[in-house]
Amino acid sequence: MEQPLIDNNLQKLKEPNNNNKSKVAAQRKKFNKRKLLSGSISYIFLLLITVITIVPFLFALSTALKGENDIIFSIPPQLIPDTITLDNFITVWNTLPIPRYLLNSVILTVFGVVLPLILCSFAAFPLARMNFRGRNLVFMLVIATMMIPGEVTMIPTYLIINKLGLMGSYTGVILPGAISVMGIFLMRQGFMGIPREVEESAIIDGANVWQLFWKIMFPMVKPMLGVLAILSFMGAWNSFLWPLIILNDPNTYPITLGLYQLQGAFSSNTRLVAAGAMIALIPVIIVFVAFQRYFIEAAYSSSVKG
Amino acid sequence: MYKARHAWGFLSIPLILLLLFTFIPSIAALALSFTNYNIFRPLEFVGFANYIEAFQDATFRKAMFNTVYYWLLVTPALVVLPIFVAILVNQKLKGVKLFRLIFYFPTLVSVVVTAILFSWLFAEQGIINYFLSFFGIDPFGWLTNTVTVMPALAIVTIWQGFGYYMLFYLAALQGVPKDLYEAAELDGAGFWRKHISITIPIIKPMIFFVAVISTMGAFKEFTLMLTMTKGGPLDASTTAVYLVFKEAFTNLEMGYASAISFILFALILIITLINQKLLDQNPNK
Repeated sequence: MEQPLIDNNLQKLKEPNNNNKSKVAAQRKKFNKRKLLSGSISYIFLLLITVITIVPFLFALSTALKGENDIIFSIPPQLIPDTITLDNFITVWNTLPIPRYLLNSVILTVFGVVLPLILCSFAAFPLARMNFRGRNLVFMLVIATMMIPGEVTMIPTYLIINKLGLMGSYTGVILPGAISVMGIFLMRQGFMGIPREVEESAIIDGANVWQLFWKIMFPMVKPMLGVLAILSFMGAWNSFLWPLIILNDPNTYPITLGLYQLQGAFSSNTRLVAAGAMIALIPVIIVFVAFQRYFIEAAYSSSVKG
Repeated sequence: MYKARHAWGFLSIPLILLLLFTFIPSIAALALSFTNYNIFRPLEFVGFANYIEAFQDATFRKAMFNTVYYWLLVTPALVVLPIFVAILVNQKLKGVKLFRLIFYFPTLVSVVVTAILFSWLFAEQGIINYFLSFFGIDPFGWLTNTVTVMPALAIVTIWQGFGYYMLFYLAALQGVPKDLYEAAELDGAGFWRKHISITIPIIKPMIFFVAVISTMGAFKEFTLMLTMTKGGPLDASTTAVYLVFKEAFTNLEMGYASAISFILFALILIITLINQKLLDQNPNK
C-alpha cells in the first residue's frame, strides 16, 4: 500500500515526465514523512549500487576514448578525456581480426545453443513420456553424472578429443557441451507437464512418433526451451577454458580468447585493450536488451528448479 | 502407443555423447589419478603416489588453503548482500525494473572482460586506491600484494555475482505474503524487525540454495586467477582448479592433475553433503 505514495513523490523529485496515475492522488492524503524518507533511502542505496556496478564499464569506456596524451591511471582519476578519440577502436579493429573473432563466437554460440536444445529434448522426451525397460537405469546414470564437476572430467575429455582427432576443431569445442544433465532435467520437466490427450489425439490423427515429437511436443515446451537457450547462450558466449584448451589457431579463437590474446599482446597499451573489451561487450548488450525478459525468466526458473 | 525402439531412437545420440564426454571421462579420471600419465611417458600404475605427493606438496596445500579462503570470502557475501539488494528492488519504486536489469548485467559479462576491467581498478593508481585515499590509505597494487590479492579477486566475484543471486531472492520474495508486512507495520515493526522476523524465515530455503550454488562456483573459480594474476604473486592466488589446469596443460602431468581434481571433488562432495543435511533439517523446505 505504501508504495504508490513514494512512487509519486519521488517521481516529482527525480523524473519529471510523470505518466501515472489518478488513484494515487486519493491516497496521497495519507502522505507520510517516514515513508518518503524510507523511499529516499532506498534510492540512495539503489544509486550507490548502480555506481558500483557501472564504474568498471565507465572507466573502460573512458580509457578506450582517451588520446595518447591523456593519463589513464592517476589519483584522482580522470574520467573525462581531454581529447576524445575513436582511434583506439580503429587500431584494434585493424590490428586484430575482431570481426573474425565475433563470427567465431557467433558460430560456437549458435551450435552451443541449438544442439543442447535438440539433444536434451531428445533425451528428455522418452524419459518423461515413455515406459520402457531400462528407463530407470538411464535416469540413474543421468543423475549420477550431476555430482561430477567438469573439472574432474576435463583431462580425460581432452584426451578423448585428442584421440578422436578433434584437437583444434570446432567439433572438439562444441561436442562435449552439446548435452547437459541440467538441460535434460529442465526439458523433462517441460515434457511431463503436457497432458496425455495431446499425444493420443495426434496418434489417432495418424502422426508417427517422429512427427508427434517435432510438430506437437517440441513446440509445447517452448518456455523451457527459452530458459535452456538463455542459459546455454551465457555459457557458450562466455566460454573460455575449453576453447583455450582445444583451439590452437588464433584465427579460430572466439572473442573471449581474442581478448585474452589482446590483453597479453598490448598489456602496455591499456587504451587498445579497453577498446577491445568495449567491442566485445556490444553483442552482449544487444542480446540482453532484446531478450531481457527471457534472461530474467531464465534466472528465475533455474532458481525455482533448485 | 510408444515402443521401446522409439525411446532408444531418441536416446541414442544423447546417450552416446553422455557416455563419451561424461561417464567415461569420470571413470578415466579416477583411473588416471593412480597413474603417472604424462603425454610423453608410457602409462604406469603408481597406486596412491599422486595423492601422497599432493599432500606433501607445499603448492598443493597452499592451493587448497587458497580455495577454502576464497570460498569463505565469497560465499557469505554472496549469500547475504543479494538479500538486501533483492529487498530494495522488490519495492514498488519508480524505475526499479531498470535497476534490476543494471544489477543483473555484470552476470552476463565474460569473466575475461571482468578480469581486464578490474585489473585496472585495482592498479596502484587505480580508482579503488583513489577512494581509499579519502581514508588516508596510501595507494598500493592490490594484485601484486600477497595479502590483498585474494580479497581483491573475491571482490570481483562478488561484483559479478550479486545480481544473479538477487534474482533468485527476488523469486523467493514473491512468495512472502504482503499482508504479513502490513500487520507487522501496524504493530510498529521497523525495517530490520520486519525482515528478520518475516522475510528471512520464509526465504530460508532459497538462502540455503544460494549457499550451495555459490559454494560450487567458488570452489571451481579459475578464469579470474588465470587472467588477472596467473596464480601469483608467489602462488598467493593459486586455487585448486588453477593448479589442476597448470599441472595438466602446462606441466602435462595428467595423472597428478587428476588426483588433485579428485581431492577437490571429495571436498566439494563433503561440503555439498553438509549443506544437504542443513537443508533437510530446515522444516520450510
